[in-house]
Amino acid sequence: MMESADSKFRLVKMDDTASEHINAPKYSYWAAVFKKFLSKKSTIVIMVIALTVIFLSVFDPIISGYDPVVHQNINNASMKFLHPSLKYLFGTNDLGDNLWNVVWMGARNSLGIAFMATAITTTLGVVVGAVWGYSKSMDKWMLEIYNIVANVPFTLVVFVLMYVMGRGIWQLIFAMSVTSWLNTAYFIRVQVLIIRDREYNLASRCLGTSTWNIVKNNILPYLISVIVTSVSRDVPSFISMEVFLAWLGIGVGEKTPSLGKTISGNRTFMTNTPYLFWIPVAVSAVITISLYVAGQSLADAADPRTHM
Amino acid sequence: MKRYVWGRIIRAIVSVFIVTVITMVMIYTLIPRELIFKTDPVYVKLGGKDDERTQYRYNTYEKLGYVDYVEQKDMCTSYAGGSYDACMAVDSADIQSILPKYEQQGYTVQQFKSGLYYAYRDVPLANQIVSFFRNIIQIDYPGKITDPDNPDMKRGLYVAADYNGVPAIQCVGCKYKYQWYLSASFPWIRTNAIHISLGQSYPSYAYQEIMDVLNSTQGTEKKVDETFETGYQAKSSLILHSCQYKQTATLDRLDKNKFSDNYANCATQKNDPSMVGMSMKIGIIALLIAYLIAIPAGMGMASHKDKFGDKIGTVYINFMIAVPSLAFIFFGWSLGTSVFHLPSAFPVLGAHDVRSYILPVLILALLNTSGIMLWTRRYMIDQASSDYVKFARAKGLSQREIFTRHIMRNAIIPIAQSIPANVILTISGAVLTETVFAIPGTGKLLPDAITDHNNQMIVALTIIYTSLSILSVLLGDLLITKLDPRIQLEEKSGGVQ
Amino acid sequence: MSENNNPILQASDIVVQFQVRSRMLTAIRNVSVDLYEDETLAIVGESGSGKSVFTKTFTGMLETNGSVPQGKVMFEGQNLLDIKDDAGWEKIRGRKIATIFQDPMTSLNPIIPIGRQITEVIEKHQGKSPSEAKKEAIELMNDVGIYNAEKRFDEYPFQYSGGMRQRIVIAIALACHPKILICDEPTTALDVTIQAQIIRLIKDLQKQYNYTIIFITHDLGVVANVADRVAVMYAGQIIEIGKVEEIFYDPKHPYTWGLLSSLPQLGIKGEPLYAIHGTPPSLYDKIKGDAFAPRNPYAMQIDFEEEPPMFKVTDTHYAKTWLLDPRAPKVVPPVQVSTLHERMKQVLTAEEEQMHE
Repeated sequence: MMESADSKFRLVKMDDTASEHINAPKYSYWAAVFKKFLSKKSTIVIMVIALTVIFLSVFDPIISGYDPVVHQNINNASMKFLHPSLKYLFGTNDLGDNLWNVVWMGARNSLGIAFMATAITTTLGVVVGAVWGYSKSMDKWMLEIYNIVANVPFTLVVFVLMYVMGRGIWQLIFAMSVTSWLNTAYFIRVQVLIIRDREYNLASRCLGTSTWNIVKNNILPYLISVIVTSVSRDVPSFISMEVFLAWLGIGVGEKTPSLGKTISGNRTFMTNTPYLFWIPVAVSAVITISLYVAGQSLADAADPRTHM
Repeated sequence: MKRYVWGRIIRAIVSVFIVTVITMVMIYTLIPRELIFKTDPVYVKLGGKDDERTQYRYNTYEKLGYVDYVEQKDMCTSYAGGSYDACMAVDSADIQSILPKYEQQGYTVQQFKSGLYYAYRDVPLANQIVSFFRNIIQIDYPGKITDPDNPDMKRGLYVAADYNGVPAIQCVGCKYKYQWYLSASFPWIRTNAIHISLGQSYPSYAYQEIMDVLNSTQGTEKKVDETFETGYQAKSSLILHSCQYKQTATLDRLDKNKFSDNYANCATQKNDPSMVGMSMKIGIIALLIAYLIAIPAGMGMASHKDKFGDKIGTVYINFMIAVPSLAFIFFGWSLGTSVFHLPSAFPVLGAHDVRSYILPVLILALLNTSGIMLWTRRYMIDQASSDYVKFARAKGLSQREIFTRHIMRNAIIPIAQSIPANVILTISGAVLTETVFAIPGTGKLLPDAITDHNNQMIVALTIIYTSLSILSVLLGDLLITKLDPRIQLEEKSGGVQ
Repeated sequence: MSENNNPILQASDIVVQFQVRSRMLTAIRNVSVDLYEDETLAIVGESGSGKSVFTKTFTGMLETNGSVPQGKVMFEGQNLLDIKDDAGWEKIRGRKIATIFQDPMTSLNPIIPIGRQITEVIEKHQGKSPSEAKKEAIELMNDVGIYNAEKRFDEYPFQYSGGMRQRIVIAIALACHPKILICDEPTTALDVTIQAQIIRLIKDLQKQYNYTIIFITHDLGVVANVADRVAVMYAGQIIEIGKVEEIFYDPKHPYTWGLLSSLPQLGIKGEPLYAIHGTPPSLYDKIKGDAFAPRNPYAMQIDFEEEPPMFKVTDTHYAKTWLLDPRAPKVVPPVQVSTLHERMKQVLTAEEEQMHE
C-alpha cells in the first residue's frame, strides 16, 4: 500500500507546538459531582422525599395555625382518637389535635435543633480542625486536651449537661454541640494532616501558588467530600439523640413539641390506638433515612475517585 | 513500652479526676439541693409537718456530707456551763450564750416552730470533693471499729478455718470479719481488706453504698440450708463471707442465735444477677452475635463490591444508622411481642426464663451490626487495593488464599482495636434497650438517677464510665501491638495513625 | 549471550484498551514480539509508553477497566488470552511467569514474617511440606545475598532495608522456578549503588535458575548492563527492536536517536543537555500516521499520513520508521549517536582512572 508519491518523502519542518496539545478528556470537578449525584434514579427519589419532608416541616405549622399550647378541641370528645382518614391523614390524638399538625410541628423543631447543632458543630469543627491540622505547634497541646476529653462518654456528658442546665431547645443545642464539635475537629485535623504534605500540595507551593488558591483548588474539594459525609451523619444522629433524650424525659421543654416527645408521649397508646405511636415513629425514620442517604450520595459524588 | 503504659495510666487518672471534679462542681453548684427530695417518699409524707421536715432535710444533708448540722440538743450536750435540761428550755439564757459561738464559726442559726434552735453550715465544695476522693479507697484494719460496749476486744489478724472449713485470714476489730479468703468461683482469692466506695445513693436505694447497688444480686432471696458456727441450723440467704461488725447494742436474739461474735451484719444472696451482671450478660451475648453476623457480612460485601449482595448490605447499614435506635427498638419489640408472643417486658417472666432475654439480646445485637459491618467492609476494601495484594496475586496465590491470609489479617487489626471497648462498655449497659424492656441493669441507672436527682449516683456513674472508657481504649491499643508488629507504642507525637 | 533457538513466548497483534470516564484509551496499539529462551529482553520507553501494561497481559494483571480486544499470546502451546478466570491464571502466575514490581517497600505484607511470605509460594507451587519449604527458602535467601538468613527468616519487612526487601521479592519470584521473570522497573526506587547490586543479582541468578528475563525500564544506562535484546516502545507500539549492540551502535529510529542523545553521561561540560522536544501524544484519539511525527526533527510528509511498517535491518534488528523506506532521503543520525561508542569508552576510562586515583 505504498502508492505514496515521492514528494511525501521530503523532510518537513517541525511544528513546535503540535506536540504540546493536551487531549485528555476535559474535567470539571463540580460538573462531575453534579452529574454523578443525579446519575442514579434512586438518589433522585430520595432527594425528593427529603425535600418534601423539609418542606412540610417548614410550611405546615405556618399554614395550619396549630397551637401547641392552646388545644382547640380539648373539650370536644368527638374529635379525639379519630383514626386516619382522608380528612385527617394522620388521625387525631388524645387531646383532639390533628396528628398531622402535631407531627410536622414536632418535626420542624427536631429538624431545626438538628440542623442548628450540626451547623455549629461543623463550623466550629472545620475551623478549629483545619488550623489544628495545619499548625504543628497547636497540634501538640491540642492532642493532649483531646486525649483527655475524648474518652468521656458522649451520652454521659449530654445527660449531665441537660440535667444541670434544665430542659429547653437552646440547652439541647448547646449540649449536643459542645460534645460533638471536638470529634469533628479531630476528624478534619486528620484529613488536613494527610493532604497537607501530599506531593501535589508541596509542588503547588513550590510553583508559587498562593495559599488561597491551594486551599480552594486542592484542599477544599477534598475536604468537601469529608465534610458532607460528616454532616450527613450528624443530622440524623442528632435527631435520634433528641428522640432518645425526650424518651428519657430530658430534652426540649414542656411546652415545645418535638418528634421525640410525641413518640414517647404516645407510647401508652400503642395497644388501643397504635397509629398514634407508629406514625410519628415512621415519620422520624423517613426523615432520618432520607437525609442520611441523600448526604451519603452527595459525599460519594464529591469524592473525585468515583468520577471514573 | 512500660514507660508508655505508665504514661497512659497517669494521663487516664488525671482525665478521670478532671472530669469527675468538673461534674461534681456543676452538679453541686447548679442544681438546687431541695430537688433531691422530690421522689423521697418519707419527705413527701412529712408534708405539712414543717419542723419534722426541716429536721429530716438537714439530717439528710448532713448524712450526704453537704452540711454540718447541729441541733439545740447537741449544743447543750457539749455545754459545760450548766445543766442539760436548763439549756434545753426554749430561748434559755444558756442557749443564747452558745449561739454566737456557732455563728462565729460560720453557722447559720435558725429556729424551729417549736422554738428550739438549730444551726447548719455548708461544707465547702472543695472539702466535699477532697473527702469524696479520700473515701474512694477504704482500707480495713484491726483498729477500725470502736464499740463502747466491747472496749477490750482482742484486736488483730489471725488465720483460721472459715465456715467452709477452708483457711482464711480473719480479723477482730476490723469492719469485715474475713479479710482474705478463698472462693469456689472467679476470682478465687477475694478480699475485704480493700474496698472501693463511691458514696451512698440517695434518694433511691437510700443510703446504700453505690458499689453495692451495682454489684449485689437482685430479686428474691436465695435461701439455702445453713449450719451456723453456733450449731444453729436454718434456711438462710446470708453471704457469710461478707459479715460486718455490728455494734453490741444493736445485736438481737436472731443474731446471737447464729453468730458467736459481733460480726452479724451480713449481705444477702439473691436469685437474680446484679445490675452489672445483668447488663454484661445481655451485652456480651449481643456483642458476640453482632460480631458473628457483621464481620462475615462485611467481608462478603467487600468481596462482592458493587454487586447485589453489597447493595443489599448497604441498604441495611444505611437503614440501621439513619433510623433512630428507639424507633428500631420499638419496631423489634412490637414484632416480637405480637408475632412471636415473647414477653413485653423483662420482669414479666423474670431473669431465669430464656424468653425474657431473646428480644433484648437480638435487638441489641442488630443495633451493633451496622457499625461493625460498615467498617469491616471499608478496611477489607482498603487492603484489597494495596500493593502487597498485587504482588501476592502476581506470585500466583488464589483469590481465597489472598483473602484469608493477607487481606483479612491486615483488616482485622483496626477491628480488633475496638473489641476491648465494646466488651468493657457492656458494663455501662444499653440505656435505651434496658429502659424499653425494664431490665434491671446498669443502663437504666443513669436516666433514673437523673429523674430522681440522685446526685451521688450521677457522680459515681461518671467516674465509673469514664474510667471504663479510658481503660478500654488503652487495652485496645495494647491489643493491636500484639497483632501488628510494626506498631511500637511510644509517646505519640501526633502522627496520623 | 542469547541462544536464538526457540521462542518460548510469542505475542502477536496485541491491542489493549482502558475505559476511562466514558472514553476509551488505547494503551497498546498492535504490538507483536517473540521472546527467546534464556535471553534478557529489555523494554525501554518513557512513562505512558505502555511497557508495563504490555507485560501485564501475560499474567492477566490488567486493571479492571482494561481489556484485550485483539491479539494472541502463545505460551507453551496455549493462548494466554483465552484464560478468563483466576483459577486459570493461578497456574501461570508465579509458577511459569513471575513478576517483580517497582516498589519493594509496599510489595511485602507488613505483618507477616518474611520467611512465611517465601514459603507460602513454595508450598503452593511445589507442594512441599513446611519444613522442606523452610529449608529451600533459606537457601533462596542465601542465594539472593541475605546475610544470616536463618535468623532473619522470622523477621518482618520493616526490619529490612529497601535493597534487602527487593532481594526478598526476587527470592519469592524465583521460589517457583518460573520460566519467565518480568522485572517491572525493579531498581527505580532504589539507590544507585543498590541498583547495580540488584541488577547483578538478577543476572547471576539467571544462570543458576535458568529463566528468561523481561526487563522494563526507562533508564538506558541500565539496559546496556543487562540486556541481550532491546525493544523500544513509544505511544503503545514497539518502534524498534534488536540486539543491544545494534540498538546502541546502529539505531535506525529517530526516537531511539533522541533517547540515546539524552543520556546524561554523554553530556559535554558547558553545553546544554539534549532533550526530545514536546510530549507523547494522547492515546484517547486514533493516531494518524507515525505517533512520533510531531516531535520528530526528521519527519516527512508521509509520517503524518500513514503508519510506517516494520522495516528489516538485519535478521535480529527491525525498526518502524519511514526513513528506512528506499524512497526516503539518506539521513545521518545526530553526532551524539554516531560517536556513541567512542564517547562511552572515553567516559568509562575516565571513571576508571578516577577510581584508581
